[in-house]
Amino acid sequence: MLKFPKSAAFAALAFAVFASPALADGDVAAGEKVFKKCSACHTVGEGARHRVGPELNELFGREAGSAEGYKYSKAMIEAGDGGLVWDAESLTEFLTKPKDMIKGTKMAFAGLKKQEELANILAYLKTFSAAQAAEAGSVVEEQPVETAAAETVEPAAEPETMVVEASKGAFGLGRVAMPAEIVAWDIDIRPDGTGLPEGKGTVAEGDPIYAENCAVCHGDFGEGAGRWPVLAGGQGTLLKDRPVKTIGSYWPYLSTVFDYVRRAMPFGDARSLSDDDVYALTAYLLYLNDIVDDETFELSKQNFTSVRLPNEGNFIPDDRLSEPHYAKGLEPCMSECKPGPVKITARAQIIDVTPDVEGDDANAGGGID
Amino acid sequence: MVDRTEPKPTHPAASRRAFLKAGLMGGAAVAASAGVARAAGDPLITEIQDWNRYLGDGVDVSPYGTPSEFEANVVRRNVPWLTADPVSSINFTPLHELDGIITPNGLCFERHHGGAAVIDPADHRLMINGLVDTPLVFTMEDLKRFPRENRLYFLECAANGGMEWKGSQLNGCQFTHGMIHCVVYTGVPLRYLLEEAGVKTNGKWLLAEGADASAMTRSIPMEKALDDCLVAFKMNGEALRTEQGYPLRLCVPGWEGNMWVKWLRRLEVGDEPWAQREETSKYTDLLADGKARRHTFVMDVKSVITSPSPQAPVTHGKGPLVISGLAWSGNGTIKRVDVTIDGGRTWQTARIDGPSLPKALHRFYLDINWDGSEMLLQSRAIDDQGLVQPTKNALRAARGGNSIYHNNGIQTWHVNNDGVVENVEVS
Repeated sequence: MLKFPKSAAFAALAFAVFASPALADGDVAAGEKVFKKCSACHTVGEGARHRVGPELNELFGREAGSAEGYKYSKAMIEAGDGGLVWDAESLTEFLTKPKDMIKGTKMAFAGLKKQEELANILAYLKTFSAAQAAEAGSVVEEQPVETAAAETVEPAAEPETMVVEASKGAFGLGRVAMPAEIVAWDIDIRPDGTGLPEGKGTVAEGDPIYAENCAVCHGDFGEGAGRWPVLAGGQGTLLKDRPVKTIGSYWPYLSTVFDYVRRAMPFGDARSLSDDDVYALTAYLLYLNDIVDDETFELSKQNFTSVRLPNEGNFIPDDRLSEPHYAKGLEPCMSECKPGPVKITARAQIIDVTPDVEGDDANAGGGID
Repeated sequence: MVDRTEPKPTHPAASRRAFLKAGLMGGAAVAASAGVARAAGDPLITEIQDWNRYLGDGVDVSPYGTPSEFEANVVRRNVPWLTADPVSSINFTPLHELDGIITPNGLCFERHHGGAAVIDPADHRLMINGLVDTPLVFTMEDLKRFPRENRLYFLECAANGGMEWKGSQLNGCQFTHGMIHCVVYTGVPLRYLLEEAGVKTNGKWLLAEGADASAMTRSIPMEKALDDCLVAFKMNGEALRTEQGYPLRLCVPGWEGNMWVKWLRRLEVGDEPWAQREETSKYTDLLADGKARRHTFVMDVKSVITSPSPQAPVTHGKGPLVISGLAWSGNGTIKRVDVTIDGGRTWQTARIDGPSLPKALHRFYLDINWDGSEMLLQSRAIDDQGLVQPTKNALRAARGGNSIYHNNGIQTWHVNNDGVVENVEVS
């Protein structure tokens, strides 16, 4: 049905790739983006409150470990008692590698490696500290000047040329994907091991990686903090009233663990772990789930598919249409369908978990997970 | 087909006027209240109002229009206790405030797993790789040069109603049924893109992947991909909203919303499914015997009365009452909707109004003369495959209470003598 002629030729297209212009130092808008890495645990601005980490309003000039109502680590409180006050300099050091500066801090974040990101996040956070408002304002004012400068520089940059092949399909639209591009995006792994990268890691190596990157949400032993997913335990609960669905109790394939951690974890800093790190973490998660019991166990591309998860056999195809209520030819009843007056058997108002207009933190059972 | 149980009001204008007054006064207490009922007439009519004297805004005030300030309560809402964090969470469409079958773009519920990604369309790419003759990369500009189509589809999260498996919990159809929306999509049939790359004969599955921070992935059977899937860039005529996957999303008509990958950046052809997180640990349906169904793609036949409902009580007292609701099925069109006001002892067939399109919302009405006594309202949909919406108890008998997903059981609303509505379950 395609009416377009097949293009026979290999057309060569020229692509102009510009070097990205240097960003201005301390860009508030860019800092807001960087803050997304922090927002899994911290809030700032109107209505901010303590969550996994303390709220960050009026952070500049705040004594370390002093935000009221937040349960700090002992180390952070001691740092504050010792005179540590948050300012651009101390925050830069802390955010570069939190655990280096404050040994024992609860903050599991590994740190910001790029100076630019550090400058931007500080500029952003500063806008929520009143004492710094005037200064922050001046930063914002300077921006247009620097942006304008960047714009005048940009056309002078030497464009790299990328020679690409056009599509040979019926429409001749798009271009041929290059091997390096496919490698960059195609990171999915199947249960049969297809897609696994080279690499390896042991349970013992996974332990500190887990403690640093995962424990803040998933708990020290995979038990889950707050409503964050429980990763370990739960074996034998699938028949119970409140099943605990974990890697060990529910997930059918280990490949899913590796694939998901590599593509989406840690939450807010995806793709930041090396393949070896992910092998080590996967090994550690097997250990937390009692599927391996030896801390020296090493998981690698070579032995990966030899590990099977206990619940694999319990997944079945969709057979909803075999349920009695979907039986063919059922003619729904229209009158005298129930013998007597209908009785109410459950009421939502008694449970009272519906959020009101102002927002409500009532914590109910069940959920969508 | 109109199937009224009571005759039409003989003086529509007069009775509407009366309704408005009654609404303002809160039902039966009209005469007792001051102001409106004075013999001199309604001051809203007898006195000149500001909006009738002074000028309103000019055409340059609102380059992109927003709803009237009096509609400020018509918003998406979330349920904080449902999830760990609002970045990976869900909010709900205010179904009780809407009519017809189209959901306004700003009210379409949101579900994302790593926040709503912000992507400049100039920076967006769609790759097709795997078991194809030629792996390809498209820009947004490329995609807009393929022949495109317009189609109306509902999108329902598989977890819609998931909180109600163990009993009535949330008091409002926004919360019990609001993980659904229905818009007109403009896009390119997925088949054209796959044919452009050339699917190899052993290419039986497709992996769709998003560009967001969760890099959302789902496996889709090739048969479905080649049938009616769409790669969409517009909704209701305008560009996709950021939270709906701007600049590009996949439409998988009639199938669970999680598969409609947003910020769509990659399609990989393979010979087997990938068993990704959202098709193993999530979006699988645990049964009472410990088995779990996977690949439960189709959204079942379902309906709900949107008004009256807990957030939309009856404020006008007895007399003419419009019972309004939505019905849909991932199998095709809705053939019939029945409504009961006595908890399921007797049923009447409702009137489906507006277009009846496959895998789209259907609007139904039952116009009754309410005698002011208690009602137990339910609706029951039947689709063009002859599948009948089951009761919640029938679903529990077949699956237990831990399935989370695919709860299409019949909803009951209790309306008391004052018109207050509550989410209940019945014998």
